[in-house]
Amino acid sequence: MNDAAIDLQAVGKTFRNTNVLRGVTMRVARGRTFAFLGRNAAGKTTLIRMLLGLLKRDDGSISVLGLDPQREPLALRRRIGYLAEDQMMYGWMSVGEIVRFVAPFYPTWDHEMATRYVRDFELPPKTKIKHLSKGQNVRLGLVLALAHRPELVILDDPALGLDPIMRKQFNRDLITHLQGEGRTIFYSSHLLYEVEPVADEVAILHEGRIVRQSDTETLRRQVKQFILSRETLRAVRSQLHILDERNDGDRIAVTVEGAEVVQRALSAEGAEFRMVNLNLDEIFEAYVAGRTGEDVPAAKPETELQPLS
Amino acid sequence: MFLRIEKGSAVPISRQIADQVASLCASGALQPGERLPSVRELARELAVNQNTVLRVYERLCADGLLEMRHGQGTFATANSRKGQLSAHRVRLVDELRQIARQGAGLGLTAAELHELLDEAADGLEIAPPAVVSGSNSK
Repeated sequence: MNDAAIDLQAVGKTFRNTNVLRGVTMRVARGRTFAFLGRNAAGKTTLIRMLLGLLKRDDGSISVLGLDPQREPLALRRRIGYLAEDQMMYGWMSVGEIVRFVAPFYPTWDHEMATRYVRDFELPPKTKIKHLSKGQNVRLGLVLALAHRPELVILDDPALGLDPIMRKQFNRDLITHLQGEGRTIFYSSHLLYEVEPVADEVAILHEGRIVRQSDTETLRRQVKQFILSRETLRAVRSQLHILDERNDGDRIAVTVEGAEVVQRALSAEGAEFRMVNLNLDEIFEAYVAGRTGEDVPAAKPETELQPLS
Repeated sequence: MFLRIEKGSAVPISRQIADQVASLCASGALQPGERLPSVRELARELAVNQNTVLRVYERLCADGLLEMRHGQGTFATANSRKGQLSAHRVRLVDELRQIARQGAGLGLTAAELHELLDEAADGLEIAPPAVVSGSNSK
């Protein structure tokens, strides 16, 4: 039963002495829109380059559309659409020229579709690439990534540098042109709130590991903040998986996984507590910048929650 | 159908959509038998994942608010208003409880809260229930 578009098992990568990726295991089902999240330099681009067969892994196995990218990079790239972060294209070519230039590299190129995308994306065919705006550049990259009807589209931080209006339009393009046609989308981002409306599922990469993979609604249901007293926390601490902990005088705010279980445990204790729903940015922050136990700075009176650096 | 998605909210997007569609049914802005935008159209309009919109429609169908007619689309049902009023009521009571708690935190007594609510309601000229249920038949 392998209907996975992407299947990674214990993938590791080391550059010189730095472990960039460690034991990354991840599965993306076909037809899903999968958001790959991490802070800058978390290893997102490294992993994407391995999916495309541009970089060799040191450990583990990778299967993309049933192929090993290291063994069959060319066969694979014909079936993938790829939009690189800050993609550079020949500035002296016009939009129409680059579309015709790229076409022969792909046996499955659909010129009619390319022309339609150019029109839908409101790209001026005769304008030189160096005169396009940032948003037009991303859209042109998308035309080139899509017109060979790839089964899988990999986008490396496509929203980077787009203003909010263009981002929304870009999301619409993804929804109409890709989700609507049942393709698999794998895209990296560091903006969780931008990703939420579009993604079926998210994975959070932190310090070279996947710290969480889940659909967004489950994530919201399971990760919540509880505000409780020091004594209560002491009583239940062993049952909690704490992601982040903040002090404020006698009370402590803990962000935990498994909120339902925690809620039940606290109710069983008869303890007083308040449960706070978090937005996805707060959840993301708890995973990638959360502090627990000894890391937590001493409470300062008169200050509210400790801001994260 | 006008819906508003608040990004970065602590309320999941699917719930935002479901709540707003339910409100439109309850207020009569969405009439029984009226056709809703297709999943595809609404997803595009809101820039929201099609699966999310589909799940919301399915859930509202299961709740009896909407019905999917094969090949025709999704429609508000005849009992969409009635059913929704009770669900709305539950939510309203919940919100009132929170407000009461906030009031208590400010040191207001129950009597004072009553008075404030009366004042707020006076400003609205709330219509008697009989008019609400009769006003939308053709």
